[in-house]
Formats: sequence, C-alpha cells, structure tokens
Amino acid sequence: MRIEKTFQVKEPLDKVWDFLSDPRKVAACVPGAKITEQIDEKTYKGAISVKVGPSVTDYKGEVTILRLDPVNYEIEILGKGQDVRGRGSASMKMTGKLTALADGGVEVTSVSELNVVGILAQMGARVINEVSNIMFGEFTKNFQARLAQPSDAAENATEAASTPIRAGSLAWQAAKGVFRRDGT
Amino acid sequence: MITKTSPEIGGMGHSIKRKEDSRFIQGKGNYVDDVHLPGMVYGHMVRSPYAHARLKGINTEKAKALHGVLAVITGEDLAKANLAWMPTLFFDKQMVLATGKVLFQAQEVAFVVAEDQYTAADAAELVEVDYEELPVLVDPHKATDPDAPILREDREEKSNHIFHWEVGDKAATDKAFQNAPVKATVHAISQRCHPAPLETCGCVADFNKATEKLTIYLTSQAPHAHRTLFSIVGGIPEQNIRVISPDIGGGFGNKVPIYPGYVCAVVASLTLGLPVKWIETRSENLQSTGFARDYHMTAELAATSDGRIQALRVKTLADHGAFNAAAQPTKFPAGLFSVCTGSYDFPAAFCEVDGVYTNKAPGGIAYRCSFRITEAAYLIERAVDVLASQLKIDPAEFRRKNFIQPDQFPYKTPLGWTYDSGNYEGALNKALDMIGYNELRQEQAEKRKKGELMGIGISSFTEAVGAGPAHTFDIAGIKMFDSAEIRIHPTGKAICRMGTKSQGQGHETTYAQIVAQELGIPASDVIIEEGDTDTAPYGLGTYASRSTPTSGAATAIAARKIRDKAKKIAAHLLECSDEDLEWETGKFFVKGAPSKSKTIQEIAFAAYTNIPAGLEAGLEAVDYYDPPNLTFPFGTYICVVDIDKGTGEVKVRRFVAVDDCGNVINPMIVQGQIHGGLTEGLAIAFMQLIDYDENGNVQGGSFMDYLIPTAVETPHWETGSTCTPSPHHPFGAKGVGESPNVGSPAAFVNAVVDALSHLGVKHIDMPITPWKVWNVLHEKGVVN
Repeated sequence: MRIEKTFQVKEPLDKVWDFLSDPRKVAACVPGAKITEQIDEKTYKGAISVKVGPSVTDYKGEVTILRLDPVNYEIEILGKGQDVRGRGSASMKMTGKLTALADGGVEVTSVSELNVVGILAQMGARVINEVSNIMFGEFTKNFQARLAQPSDAAENATEAASTPIRAGSLAWQAAKGVFRRDGT
Repeated sequence: MITKTSPEIGGMGHSIKRKEDSRFIQGKGNYVDDVHLPGMVYGHMVRSPYAHARLKGINTEKAKALHGVLAVITGEDLAKANLAWMPTLFFDKQMVLATGKVLFQAQEVAFVVAEDQYTAADAAELVEVDYEELPVLVDPHKATDPDAPILREDREEKSNHIFHWEVGDKAATDKAFQNAPVKATVHAISQRCHPAPLETCGCVADFNKATEKLTIYLTSQAPHAHRTLFSIVGGIPEQNIRVISPDIGGGFGNKVPIYPGYVCAVVASLTLGLPVKWIETRSENLQSTGFARDYHMTAELAATSDGRIQALRVKTLADHGAFNAAAQPTKFPAGLFSVCTGSYDFPAAFCEVDGVYTNKAPGGIAYRCSFRITEAAYLIERAVDVLASQLKIDPAEFRRKNFIQPDQFPYKTPLGWTYDSGNYEGALNKALDMIGYNELRQEQAEKRKKGELMGIGISSFTEAVGAGPAHTFDIAGIKMFDSAEIRIHPTGKAICRMGTKSQGQGHETTYAQIVAQELGIPASDVIIEEGDTDTAPYGLGTYASRSTPTSGAATAIAARKIRDKAKKIAAHLLECSDEDLEWETGKFFVKGAPSKSKTIQEIAFAAYTNIPAGLEAGLEAVDYYDPPNLTFPFGTYICVVDIDKGTGEVKVRRFVAVDDCGNVINPMIVQGQIHGGLTEGLAIAFMQLIDYDENGNVQGGSFMDYLIPTAVETPHWETGSTCTPSPHHPFGAKGVGESPNVGSPAAFVNAVVDALSHLGVKHIDMPITPWKVWNVLHEKGVVN
C-alpha cells in the first residue's frame, strides 16, 4: 500500500533537516512509537503499538536509515517489525524530502510503502488507510510542536516514549473516515 | 401419477406446515451451542496470522500459567499421538494443528482449554508463536511457475500441482472445432465464496472415563460417516462413539468435512475426561472452514452458422488452497463438473481440470450443490449466451434449438452421464410466458434508444443430485446408499429414523408425508428422528440434494415392506387370502366387498395382539436404498435487471424461476427451498467473494466484507413448476434444495451482460458489484 503525505512547517530548512534525520526525534512524534536502543549509526531498535477497536498489535523491530542525502534533503528509512504475540508483521519504507518554501518555511513530503500482514491486514485497505491518516495527522501535529520547542526540550522528549495513540477513539475515527471519505 | 390423499392424511402434494417450526419460532431449538453438560470446559483456537511461515517455536508457558487454563495443545503434542495430520475427503491430508509450517492465514496452531470461554480466549492471546515468514503463493495461475514456493513439504511430489483430470473425446472435439464455422469462448471465474451458515461450526466432545464412551455433539451433515472417520482416525472402537447432530442451523456443505477444532475438542476431552465445547466465531468460520468453488474456467463452443452446437471444450484451473479438502465422493477429481454439457444435445465434448495448492484456506466444498455442478451449470449457461449473442440469435431461441428433446431420455451425454428424464422446452416456455418475454424485449429495445440500461438473462440449467449410485459414489469407501427405518406402534402411530440429517430442509415434515402417502397414517402421527448414531440406521447424511432421492426412496420402500406384512395380517383378520385384498390409502379391503376392510391402525394393533401363525410380531421395516442413477432436476430461470448508470448498481426488477423436480412432496417447502437458494445465488452473483491480498491476508473474513443479503437487497421471487417424474425413483421425485443455487448465478450474470451487450461487453465476473459495473460504464464511455 502506498501512502503519500505532504505538510508544511514554519521553521528553517536546516533545523527541520536536523530533526528529520534523527530517527529518535521522528519516532517520538509517531503515536505509540518509541526507539528503545541504538545499534549503530544507521540502525535502531524500536516498538510501536497500534490499537484498532479490540485489536492491539505491538510491533517490535528495527529501523534502518537506508539513505541520507543532506545535499538534496532526502532520507530513506526502512522499518520492520513483528507483533510480540505473533499476530502479524508490518514493514514500511518511507522516503522523506524537504523543500524550502518562498515564505521561509519548509514543505515535508513523504512517500511510504506499507506492507501489513496478519490480523490488522484483514481489516482491509480502507481501514488501514484511515488508521494511517489519523496516525499521520497526529504525527504532523507532534512534529510541528516538537520542532517549535527549544532544542533542549526536544532532546529530552526523545528519552520518553511518545504518548500512545488514543486507542478507543482510533477505531471510531477510522470508522467515521470510511464513511466520510474527504481525505482528512 | 401419485394418488392424492386427504388433507387429514397429508401425503404427497400437501403444503402442510413444517412440524419443526413450532419449536424454531419459539426459540426452542436445540443447537450444539445449547448443549450444556456438568463440568463442561471450553476450547479456543490459536491461529496463524501468516499465510506461509515456518514455525520456529511455540511458548505456551504464559498461557498455561493463567488461572483457569487446563491445557494448551500444540501440533507437536498431537504428533506424539500421530494425530497432527488427518485425512481430508479428497484423499489428501490436512494439519490438525500446525507442525513445521503454516500454510494459510487463520490456520490452526494451538488449542487452549480453560474453565470458561473468556479465559480460553485470553489464554490464546498469551500463546507466543515464533514465525519466520516465507514467500506467499496466492495466484493459482502462478502455482506451477518454476519460481513458485513449494507449499507442501510433506508430499513426495515437490510441486504445487495436485491433479490433472480429463474426460471426453479429445480427438472428436478438436476435429469438430477445426470444421466449425462458428466458435465462441468465455473465461469465467466461479469465485471463492463461503456458505456462511447462520450457525457456525462447533462441537461438544464428552469422553466418559468410566464407560470409555465418547459422545460428540456435532454440527454435522453426516453424523454416521463422521463417527466412522473418528473411529478410524482416532483408533476409538466405533461402538464407543456416539455422534449426535442436534438441530443444525444451516449446512450448505460447510458441515460435511471434519475440522481441526472437532479433533482438538475430542483430544482434549480424552485427555481431561471432561466435556469440552468448541464453537467457532463468525470470522473463524469464514476464514478457515470449507470455502466453495474457486474454479477458473474457460469454455469454448463450436457451432454451425445457423446456431447448432457441435462441440464443447473446457479447461479449468481449480484452486484448492493449502490442503485439498474438497467434498468429492466421486471417482472423478472434479466431481460432477463434467455435467457441463448442460441441457444441450451435441455429439462431442472434452473437459480437463487441473488442481493446485495455494496459501489459502483449504476446501472446495459443495456449497448447496452436488460437487462442482454449480460451476458446470454456470459455465455452460454463460457460454451458450456468449455464442447466441455472437450469432445474433435470441438466447431463448438459441436454447430451444439446441435442447435435448423429451423423447431422447434417458439421454447419454458426451461426457458419460445418463440423464433420467427432462422436458427442457416445457420449462423454458412456461418461464417465458410467466415473465412476458416478448414484451420485455420490446421494452428493452425502446429503452436502449433512450440510453437506458435494461437486461434479460436466461438460465436453462440441468442439475444432477441424489448421490449416489454406489458404483460411482463413496466416502472413504463407504458406498453412498441411504436408509430409513419405520416402526409402527400398536396404536397405529409411527416413529421413523433416517441416515440423513436435516439442517433446515424440513425432513420432520416431508419424510412423514412419504409415510402418510404410502401407509395412510396421518403425517401428524409420524415422528421423524435423525442425527443420533446410536439410534438411527447408518447413512451418509444430507447434502447434494440427496435426502429425497436416497432416504426418501428408502422410506417409501420400507413403508411398502410394512404394507406387504400388513396385507398378511389383514388377510388373517378378514379371513381371506392375501390375493383377495386390495389397498386403498390407509386400508385393505376385500375385492368386490369394500365394506369388508381393515385400516392400517387396526392392522398395527393386531401386529402386537393377534398375530397370524407363522408371522413375526411387530410392524417395522428398514431399507437401505442404493439409487440406480442420479436424478436430474432442471428448470429455466429468467432475470430482468435495470442498471443505474450513475452508481453502477444493478437492480433485479423481476425473477421468474420455473423448476422441475419431478413429483413434489410438499409444494410449500419446495417453494421455501427455492426462495432460499435464489437469495444465496443473488448474493454470489452480486456480493460475495473471499478475496486475498498479495500477502495472503483474507479480505473477506468478516461480515463487514463478506456480505449477506437482507430483505432490502432481495427481490420478489416468482416461482412456477413443471413436473417430469424421475423414472427410476420409487415415487418419481428428484430433489430440489440446490437447484436455485445452481441455476440462478448464470441468470443474474446473463441479465447484466445482456444489458451491456450492445456496448460490446461479453462477460463480467462475479461478484458483479456496483464498482465493477461503474468501471465498465466508464470504460465504454457511457458515463464520464
């Protein structure tokens, strides 16, 4: 499944790039996700918890930076995880790109190839799409908020896990999304 | 001709109300999940999230530690008892619980037993399974590619190919195609669907350690056959096993196989000495138990330029999933698929079928049909329409031109079947009259001028039911006869037991009507009991519309045996010779002196109180009936649809079903069966598909995706009948429960294609969803 997202931030290009190229900082913006260990310069261990209705999936796995291109402000990341209770797996290859805007802000573009196997995948593309829409919406808010914080605060934030997504509301929001179809 | 009895007797042809309904409509049925035994515990299945993965380890410690958990059984545990695998109905084997690998999503991996079902479900979540994902094979067309992963490591043959089967005269067929001026081809998929009965599958296994007797309350369409299989596979002496099928909430073929959950519940009960209940959830039912169809078919017809069919050539790929668990009791790997020459008379045909494994749930069960007859009927009725359209001949006219004629019966088809009787044109004519065919064609022509989309679809199907003649049909070697036992009580009332098992067909009423017809005992005085292997005579169960053709026949013959004995008793009572007696419904009388008579009730009393010398006491009989042939019901269905250009929605405006199932036992029940089967056919044609994504994730695994028609989607069904009795059945009946599901899909699809034929549309695969139609309309430039 291919998911494309674009959003804008009102921060200078290099500041945004520093943030985006640090998986610990990015992970802290993803609802329910955390980086637990750094293996080497490009590899991290992490976990993410996704709850859709009654179905909780706790993925544990690795995040690898496949490509870091500071000249063109492009990053390619591969995340792979298995549910700790053996209920399925997921992988995501994301390409992120920053483009400077005329107003001094930055446009963040991401293209993700998502592959989900298991209980969650049975819910079909329409639910997974909606779940990823909601998660990405949260991510964007967190990303903008954390980026606006002083750098020390942002650094500290990476130590703690980010707030898991509000599980109960996720299924409801996804369900509403299915019927609304306005792309929010 | 069947003599019509009085309404009080209620023999054949009376629409008496269903006896079983008084308990069903009061909510007082007794289904497997209603069985509650003292000390009963509950099983829950741990299932694979992956379609193909290596099992690297299972950790059951956390699950076992949960309070209330009694046992966690894995494939390795079963392997120690040689029970990790079990035979399927198709000479293949299937894993009970996985060892080594999992081969489809939702495959059974471990079985948790706990004091209550919630603890069992919670504990199942605590079972930790370590998987290593393997490449997944979803597309059956890629199963034999050189780079396809080999799924079944247990087989000697390192290939995903299961079987190749061919039947017919290839040379004659090829020659007919070479010479034919007209040829038509259709590629049609009879998609993977699921019967989704109202009641899911389940059981209560109750092993009594003191008596060593195992009682299994089972959602079984074939309790006797299942008892024998449990005995053979489990090594339990057959006299110690009692299978009880209580009320069954719909079967449709889904409850013919033995499923891993049943075996696990039995193993758990044998181990724990406690009754163990296991009931599937809806999603488990859709994802793991017997699916139906998944036939990818190509039919070619060769014809003369004036529209006489000369030959049929069929090539089919059958996707059986991870294990070949098709319901297949014939000698032919594709069952009755070779009835695909349908209702038409032509000299040459050749049919070949290849079966393959994929990473999908196992099955290929006969969903409300006889072993692939639905696929066959759909294919030929679709192909005939494609050819008629190509020749610009009206599809009704085209069928008429090619029908087997009434005087050609018994008719031997080019693929080896012998049809017993038929009058195909009679049913077609009646259906055309009922629907007002000519007016509809005029209306369609006018609508087309205005750009409106309306279609008329015809299906003149031939069914094959009543398995079966023992020479062709068996389950694990057990011949497919069936049985009836009738006992007449001293007061002239009766109890009858059969080897079949109703799942909603109304057996408690219809079998009683057969007894009423044959013996003149009112149907209301006759109790029918099925489904308890300790009491009923052996039988192969109910599916393939076989109850009336086999046990129904056995009931009539057992009743006639009773009548023969009753005649001797009557002669004794009337002090005359048996030869002086004549039978009239319910009594024997002396020829020429009708006032000198004895009723069946008087005779029954005498059978216990005043027995003639040399005759045994009592009045009862058993019959095991092996039919000489299948029966071949038929009919013509006509469907009228309107298509909404804006949404692509197909609206079924009218549907006429003319069925011929020979002599009818209860017209109301027949009509009810036809209504139900047409509604299932509608769902298959327009709504239902068990789909898989490229990773083998089930995309039709709940009622959110697998749609069930409600009263909103279901049109008004108009039914009619003709009557061509079966010449070989004791009372000329043929069986009917499945005809509407076999015959209707082609009528629906033909109607949609007919509505779009002027745009160059030749075929649309089922399910014909609004999205599919909308895309066609866009492609053809009908809407922007």
